[in-house]
Amino acid sequence: MFSRILRHEWRLLSGDATLWLVTAVCAAAIGYGVWNGARWVRFQQQAIADASAEQAKRYDALQTQITALRQPGASVSPFADPRNPSSLGGRLGPKYATLPPAPLAALAIGQSDLLPYYFKVSTDARENIVSTTEIENPNRLLAGRFDLAFVIIFFLPLLILALTYNMVSAEQEQGTLALVLSQPVGTGTLVRGKVAVRATVLVGVLVVLAGAALLITGVNLTAAGAVPRLLMWIVAVTAYAAFWFGLAVCVSSLGQSSTANATILATTWLALVVVAPSLFNLIATSFYPVPSRVEMVQAVREASDEANKEGSKLLARYYEDHPELATGDAAQAMTDFNVVRVAVNDDVENRVRPVVQRYERQIAAQQQTLDRLRFFSPAILMQSALNDVAGSGVDRHRHFISQLDAFHAQWRAHFVPLIFAKARVTSLDTLPSFTFVEESTAVLWGRVGTGVMALLLPSLALAWFGFRRLRRYPVAG
Amino acid sequence: MISRIARKEFLELTRDGRYRILAGVVLVLSLLSLAVGWNNYSSLSKQHETAQAATRTQWLAQDKKNPHSAAHYGMYAFKPKSQLAMVDTGIDPYVGVAVWMEAHKQNDFKFRPAQDRTAVQRFGEMTGAEVLQVLLPLFVVLMTFSAFTAEREQGTLRQLMSLGVSPRMLALGKAAGVALALAIVLVPATVLGVVAFMWTTESGLLAGDAGRVAWMIAVYLVYFATLIAIGLAVSAATRSSRVSLLVLLAFWFANSLLATRAAADLAGALHPTPSAVQFQRALEEDLSDQQAVAQRLEVRRAALFKEHNVDHVDALPIAFSGISLQEGEEHANEVFDEHFGRLFNLYEQQNRVLQAAGMAAPMLAVRSLSMGLAGTDFNQHRDFVAAAENYRRDIQRVLNADIAANQKKGQVYLADRSLWEQVPEFEYTAPPTQWVLGNYITSLIVLIAWFAASAFVLFRSTARLQVD
Amino acid sequence: MLTAVDLTKRYNDVVALNALRLTIAPGEVFCLLGANGAGKTTTINLFLNFIEPTSGSATINGIDVTKAPLETKKYVAYIPETVMLYRNLTGLENLEYFAALAGRPDYTASQLLEFFARVGLPDGAAERRVGTYSKGMRQKVGIAIALAKGAKALLLDEPTSGLDPKASNEFSDLLRQLSADGVAVLMATHDLFRAKQSGTRVGIMKHGRLVAVHGTDEFTHADLERVYLEHMHD
Repeated sequence: MFSRILRHEWRLLSGDATLWLVTAVCAAAIGYGVWNGARWVRFQQQAIADASAEQAKRYDALQTQITALRQPGASVSPFADPRNPSSLGGRLGPKYATLPPAPLAALAIGQSDLLPYYFKVSTDARENIVSTTEIENPNRLLAGRFDLAFVIIFFLPLLILALTYNMVSAEQEQGTLALVLSQPVGTGTLVRGKVAVRATVLVGVLVVLAGAALLITGVNLTAAGAVPRLLMWIVAVTAYAAFWFGLAVCVSSLGQSSTANATILATTWLALVVVAPSLFNLIATSFYPVPSRVEMVQAVREASDEANKEGSKLLARYYEDHPELATGDAAQAMTDFNVVRVAVNDDVENRVRPVVQRYERQIAAQQQTLDRLRFFSPAILMQSALNDVAGSGVDRHRHFISQLDAFHAQWRAHFVPLIFAKARVTSLDTLPSFTFVEESTAVLWGRVGTGVMALLLPSLALAWFGFRRLRRYPVAG
Repeated sequence: MISRIARKEFLELTRDGRYRILAGVVLVLSLLSLAVGWNNYSSLSKQHETAQAATRTQWLAQDKKNPHSAAHYGMYAFKPKSQLAMVDTGIDPYVGVAVWMEAHKQNDFKFRPAQDRTAVQRFGEMTGAEVLQVLLPLFVVLMTFSAFTAEREQGTLRQLMSLGVSPRMLALGKAAGVALALAIVLVPATVLGVVAFMWTTESGLLAGDAGRVAWMIAVYLVYFATLIAIGLAVSAATRSSRVSLLVLLAFWFANSLLATRAAADLAGALHPTPSAVQFQRALEEDLSDQQAVAQRLEVRRAALFKEHNVDHVDALPIAFSGISLQEGEEHANEVFDEHFGRLFNLYEQQNRVLQAAGMAAPMLAVRSLSMGLAGTDFNQHRDFVAAAENYRRDIQRVLNADIAANQKKGQVYLADRSLWEQVPEFEYTAPPTQWVLGNYITSLIVLIAWFAASAFVLFRSTARLQVD
Repeated sequence: MLTAVDLTKRYNDVVALNALRLTIAPGEVFCLLGANGAGKTTTINLFLNFIEPTSGSATINGIDVTKAPLETKKYVAYIPETVMLYRNLTGLENLEYFAALAGRPDYTASQLLEFFARVGLPDGAAERRVGTYSKGMRQKVGIAIALAKGAKALLLDEPTSGLDPKASNEFSDLLRQLSADGVAVLMATHDLFRAKQSGTRVGIMKHGRLVAVHGTDEFTHADLERVYLEHMHD
């Protein structure tokens, strides 16, 4: 029976222009979205390659200079001397810490156009390092990108609703419903058949086309982690589609006219996809406002003014904390500019840390609020799932920042003793380097899985309610 | 006649429970967005004012030091908020709020507020502009899609036409009725908005610039009139309410959500933005062009020698170190002007594509105009960047001139507060409304063209109105 | 075959059907007459379980329709005022689908075509899209579905209204054939002439009540009209 309905529905659908229109629009949007994502990934990779080329060139020059300075009689200002650990660790020899795009980054541009993905790490204060950004026209940042995630979050529900809003009401309106239901067929079976055909076609088209688009745009699916991510993507997209099909079944079961169904579904879509996220964002930012960073700018400035004023006092305290660094001529070191600067930088960071943490606490509180509120908007759930899968979300970036902090600490730990010892750097090979360690797939599954569950539960509830009500569908009277 | 039709439409709409719910929701959301916008504006502008005063105090409180040390110490400029940002925050979340003005270097504006937000920010903020540009158009769609089709389906259209009502009158009456129903939501929000603007207008960036408010209201009114005309035209031209609704929803989606992204992508594809790495490298290459600096210095030295009729630096009555510092600045300024100028021109080219794309989607024209009038568009950001950069250059000129005048060879020269006070306070006035409108001539024309075209299409489609 | 016991349907205060008692045996053609809103369509909808009775029961083949709605639908076929079909499918495809839904997915194409021939649809009609069919042809497809289904009872809701006399006559002939095969028929109609011609009994309904039942052989067409109008008067 069920397979009969399936076959019949397929025949009806395929004879209808709507399906082909929807498929064509879907294909165009997917193709363009993936292409756009892939282009952005290539841009990022190019920028990272440029950065490492720049670093390599600089290091070659520094090495040549070091070799040249070995010649007797050669001299250079200490600020430009690569053998001087303070100059090398600071202005001359910073190394890049880069966040390479994840294997399937082309699936969602996410926050990657906003959050910087490369930093020049030196012995400078942390706040000076992390405040760099990629340049981009703010108008384009505001508009967002037309990527596959946009197609899925905003567009897919509309396509689903376009295919389902009148699946029962149209039969009612054209009069075939009474004839069908005068056969030994339940309304539930009929609708299940209708939904199954539409869902298979739509999700099938989506997955196949997205896969094809990924392959055509040259995304390497054999890269480490690509396959599990692709699986996660399919699961997440299916769950999201399930939600909208569930909603359509639910609204269909109310027995309203096609036009009324379309109005109800369009308004629900607007509420869940457009209004709810903005509103939740408003709630989160109103309850946990992050003050303008101008306050931080001032705090950093005041801290460095004070730190600079008491530079030598600070150094004395620094020696108390780090007696291992006190060399024989500590007294002379007290006046050494580079040595004082280490202590001052350290002090500024300590003073600024509580201010920075205040910002971070507020952002974390916002995130926490939204993490709870997102369960009321499938669009937010989907956004975070897609960003996770593509590795272009906030979590992977935070993971990167913590590695960046570790590298920054390592960099300093390498140079500070050299500065205090007034040692000379003779080789650049021993300097620490940064390599990004990817998040574990298990962690990723955990995050994506939560989102998928949060999508599936309401889908099931909606479908359950819908099918229950369908039993009492007003075929007549 | 028109007023009778309008009254009937209005009654019919307002008696509909769905209208009441939607109107209530839209009204609540617009008032909420206004309240939050006002609150954000007041707290942010206070923070920025305080910080601007503090940076001045810090500058004046400097110890005795060499002027060049002070130049390195520098000052901060904080971007002031414009009052109308309470309605349209525009690009504000995506541009930095502060710039450090120091010697030798034009710095970037740092700290984009959007970086301090979660990913949900990308869905948009519930600002007045979002309500006006996204929600209200959908509201108009829902109010107009069945204006003709429902009458056709009920058979009342046949009756109306048999009475000899002109289809044009009918269309105008319906438009007036919908406009009236829309006004119920818009008028209270606008009145409150204007009051909030007046409240803050005393000291704000756009002080006294009521013209911007008037223009903004006019732009949105023309936009809504266009949307009503489009909705009625589609309803008159389609066979059933269902088809009319689907066509209008597709238009709404393409216009309100898809167009911005597609146009931004198109702009980026036509005029690609370089990466920060590329930009920085090109900039640094030109900055470190020692030969150019040396040449410049040579010319200046020759001119000074001639002027003072001497033949070596030490014989000059002024300190050459001050001159050389200033020449270094001048060289850097040229490089900055070239590189930042090129980058910003690129952004403006991209923005021109966005404006031209308004021909395909009227929302883009409205969006550009709205941001511009709110003072939160790129042009006004650039204007502020230029003002801050000019101020930075002024600081350098004052300080370097002081070095040239007072530095004595072989002595340590320290300046004091009297010099710091010679640097004037940083003041910024927003450009006038005409300047803004001048930037958006394209968008204005596009919007008016859309209005005219939609009115024309409405008349055409009612002229061929099918009764059933 | 079709039995109603005190079948009642109330919408708030309005009684649409009041304690209907009715039994229609195999081979019988029972015509329900009555003004608009007398409860004829309500009766049919109740037998189809499209609406739930307020009280009483409707049974088909001895099975209560509210208790086993799917089971009872195996025995009935329903022909509304206009048989609505899937416009974009051919007549044959429509028949195949409905037959399959009715539990007969095993017909071959030639068997299905035979049903078309039996109901008198012209050659080639089966291959055309239903969108091009006239109303008479649609009604015949409705009968073809009933035949294909092997229905033991037929529920007809004004099936001949709006048909031209020839089509109407052909339809009546088909009904007679079915009843000769032992099918129980319940037909709501305004057409006294057809009721007399093809019915075995007529029932007159008024305000939800079945006020009179007569055998069609009791009187002539003119008598039937007189009796009907008498009931309608007061």
